[in-house]
Amino acid sequence: MKTFQEITHNLLEYWMHYGCIIQQPYDVEVGAGTMHPETFFRVLGSQPYKVAYVQPSRRPTDGRYGENPNRVYRHYQLQVILKPSPDDVQDIYLESLRKLGIPLEQHDLRFEEDNWEAPTLGAWGIGWQVLLDGMEITQFTYFQQTGGLDLMPISAELTYGLERIATFLADKESVFDLPWNRELTYGQVKQREEFEFSKYSFEVADTGLLFELFDLYEKESLRCLEEDCVLPAYDYCLKCSHTFNLLDSRGAISVTQRVGIIGRVRSLALKIAKQYVQEREEKEEQISV
Amino acid sequence: MSKSEKKKKNKFLFELGLEEIPADMISPALGQMCQGFEKRLEEACIDYGSIRPFASPRRLAFLVEDLPDHQPEREEVVLGPSQSVAYDEQKKPTRAVEGFARKGGVAVADLELMETPKGNYVGYRKKIPGKSLSEVLQEVLPQVLTSISWPKNMYWRESRFRFIRPLRWYLALLNDEVLPFEFEGLKAGNTTRGHRFLGAPDIQVLQVDDYLDQLRQNYVLADIEERRAKIAAEIEEVTPKGLHISSDPHLLETVVHLNEYPTLICGSFSEEFLKLPQEVLTTVMRHHQKYFSVVNEEEEIQSYFLTVINTSGDPEGKIQKGHEKVLRARLEDSAFFWKADRKRRLEERVEDLDLILFQEKLGTYRAKTERLRTFCSGLSEDPHLDTAALLCKTDLTSDMVREFAGLQGVMGGLYAREDGYPEEVWKAIYEHYQPVSLEDASPSTPLGALLSIADKLDTVVGCFAIDIVPTGSSDPFALRRQAQGLVKVLLDHQLDYSLSHLVELAEKNFPAETKDKEVREQVLNFLKGRVRYIFQEKGIPYDVLNAVLAVEIHGVYDAYQRAQSLAGIRTDKDFEALAMAYKRTKNILSKQSIELSAVSQESLIDPEERALFRAYSEIKPKVDNNLENGDYVAALKQIAGLRKTVDQFFDKVLVMTEEKKLRQNRLRLLHDISQLFLRIADISEIVQEN
Repeated sequence: MKTFQEITHNLLEYWMHYGCIIQQPYDVEVGAGTMHPETFFRVLGSQPYKVAYVQPSRRPTDGRYGENPNRVYRHYQLQVILKPSPDDVQDIYLESLRKLGIPLEQHDLRFEEDNWEAPTLGAWGIGWQVLLDGMEITQFTYFQQTGGLDLMPISAELTYGLERIATFLADKESVFDLPWNRELTYGQVKQREEFEFSKYSFEVADTGLLFELFDLYEKESLRCLEEDCVLPAYDYCLKCSHTFNLLDSRGAISVTQRVGIIGRVRSLALKIAKQYVQEREEKEEQISV
Repeated sequence: MSKSEKKKKNKFLFELGLEEIPADMISPALGQMCQGFEKRLEEACIDYGSIRPFASPRRLAFLVEDLPDHQPEREEVVLGPSQSVAYDEQKKPTRAVEGFARKGGVAVADLELMETPKGNYVGYRKKIPGKSLSEVLQEVLPQVLTSISWPKNMYWRESRFRFIRPLRWYLALLNDEVLPFEFEGLKAGNTTRGHRFLGAPDIQVLQVDDYLDQLRQNYVLADIEERRAKIAAEIEEVTPKGLHISSDPHLLETVVHLNEYPTLICGSFSEEFLKLPQEVLTTVMRHHQKYFSVVNEEEEIQSYFLTVINTSGDPEGKIQKGHEKVLRARLEDSAFFWKADRKRRLEERVEDLDLILFQEKLGTYRAKTERLRTFCSGLSEDPHLDTAALLCKTDLTSDMVREFAGLQGVMGGLYAREDGYPEEVWKAIYEHYQPVSLEDASPSTPLGALLSIADKLDTVVGCFAIDIVPTGSSDPFALRRQAQGLVKVLLDHQLDYSLSHLVELAEKNFPAETKDKEVREQVLNFLKGRVRYIFQEKGIPYDVLNAVLAVEIHGVYDAYQRAQSLAGIRTDKDFEALAMAYKRTKNILSKQSIELSAVSQESLIDPEERALFRAYSEIKPKVDNNLENGDYVAALKQIAGLRKTVDQFFDKVLVMTEEKKLRQNRLRLLHDISQLFLRIADISEIVQEN
């Protein structure tokens, strides 16, 4: 039986052999692998790029104190960006599942319509959720827009839900029973983290402070843009987004505020994307974030 | 050999291969593709026999038979200079006409004189040979593909061509030969692809007639009906004895289009989940997993489900186990929600509605709740209705509805029942989103009907007030559907609230500062449009509709009765004649100013006008009485009885006499008679059949 870390390793190895750059998780809190600069910025502009990385993704409202077998505060996504998307992208993806040891001809696998959208990033795409015997294991998206900008060439984004694939392969009912390696389970490694972060985001987080932080992060992001520091500006935009998620899970955001706050994060993301593209075009640089 | 036998009959098979198309879009797209193709063949004057459509998630295809080799030869008239320019006074051809003939490659002697609406011109007839079938097909196919419209499409290549999903291959066979054809970077060939995991990735089709069989051998059933039949047969096979699936035509249609090789399996779940409401179980299975739920003869849900898998079978039960595991996790979530949500009573949740936005300018659901209560109090003083209005949106704060939006209303009803509210209250909440479509049932209870009307009208009026108005295909708040639902409830419950009264009541709830403008008239017109649509759906002829809607609607149910009565009597001979006479009357009245007052009997001098007045006076109280009782058939029959006297009146009496007093009096008489109709309909709108 494959351990959680072997599955992760096998997938990264597969994509490394395919020719992807293997990146590391981003070191700012994010809600999804899409928010990693290796996706947000790389899909903009015309330079081809191939990258794969694992991204721990925080969803404060999904926290369940480590008690729900299928929902966690922080789960692991394995994200692949292929730009431009190759013609046989679906076959390449399916081959990665075979490499994990899933005999696809013995299972029920299908691509069901699911169009991904991230309003705070001004990003959306067209695609499917990939269902394996009824379980969603991957989000498959042809990126159409990011930061409110039309994309060309079109990138394919594959987001594997690592916990889902692992529970499938290990035939476990609960993610906490997954073998992380041969000695420790996912629960042993993660349960305390799940408990504390759930407690923090539902009960402890200081909403007054978080509102202040949101304002400060936003201000700093805008200041970075004025100083032509697009990437640092994006870090602060991510911080705004995570702070918003925390406030949301605390139930601290009223209706009118909610629309406004999403709008503020989105407006940062749009400015950042625009300035990034403008600057890269001016400098006509080769790949270098 | 006869000529017709010699004519070769051609077959053309086309398959568009692409990545998985969303299931619900397959049928409409296939229809567009085939109809687009047929239309263009007809435009190109190409006859064809049958056209058979095929489709699966990864392909849209058709086979056309009995195609001719060529387009027919056609003749085109080429016009040159006008007769006066073409020939001089000696009738000799001018240089202009010689040039024209030379350019066209014809002798001047062969030119003809042609009559046109603009006068006579010189010209000739040119024979244009028909293009070959192959040429026509190559021209037509790109047009057909480009013209398919999708609800949401995408780019995938630099050409910025948009389609539902990336195109991957074309199979195009004209009588077993590849039709040379290129579109969006792909060339047509003679290969297709089988099932992703069970079939071959490249299948050469050498004969058009082998297409379906070859695909079938590769685990793709491209014939939609074949898949449907397989699913139907296997549903019978795998459903446990004595039970059946809960009927779900839309889900059935979805799974037909979701699988290339559908196979049914039956799984089960722990009976402890049967404690959950049936509505929740069904929604979890249907909405998230596309499973059919299984019920007994009493329609009670059982701990089984049927799912359609996209493969040939599940010999080891692995797939079944996987689906059962996913369902268990979902049901556990729902059981958790069901337990957690009931810890707080609905009335405690009313305040939480402050946190949920209905619409930015129209405020929160709390605000909407208050509007609904005010509106409802204008319809009925029943305290149960007020309670239902107060609580009807509180389920939006429940975890269950956050997870399954489709259960809104239903959960509120179930939670209200758990909270111990009387049946009138919880049922009204449960049903107040109904009907969600014209096929859906209206609420079954009177209070449910009123709450449904309140909810829908509040949305329609509110949106109009802030200028969110449906235009063309854009209707983000589904206002058309809401308004149709409203009309349907009024009809089904035979409620005779006048539309203008309802709209007025709803509009009062939006204070001036929340509104961009007064919208009463606009909303009324919009509702009238929906009334028209629904009446049409119910088979009311369009002219009857025009006639009924030309006068004030009052109640929708009343209008429907008027329409039905009118539709019943419109072919009656007397009525037809009367309608004609009325058209004259209306025409006269529209051009004259009338000083309204009672008809003066002394000023009626001609016998025919006196007779008409008598006949009118005689039927008026009866008609009034019938109108009062809503017996429109009887009223219309009485009015139709005037036909003879009206005809004689118009034969003999000059309405537009010079004498003002007489004229006015006659106009008043005609006016009074037309008022009889106008309570029912403006019958001048009725179109005579011959």
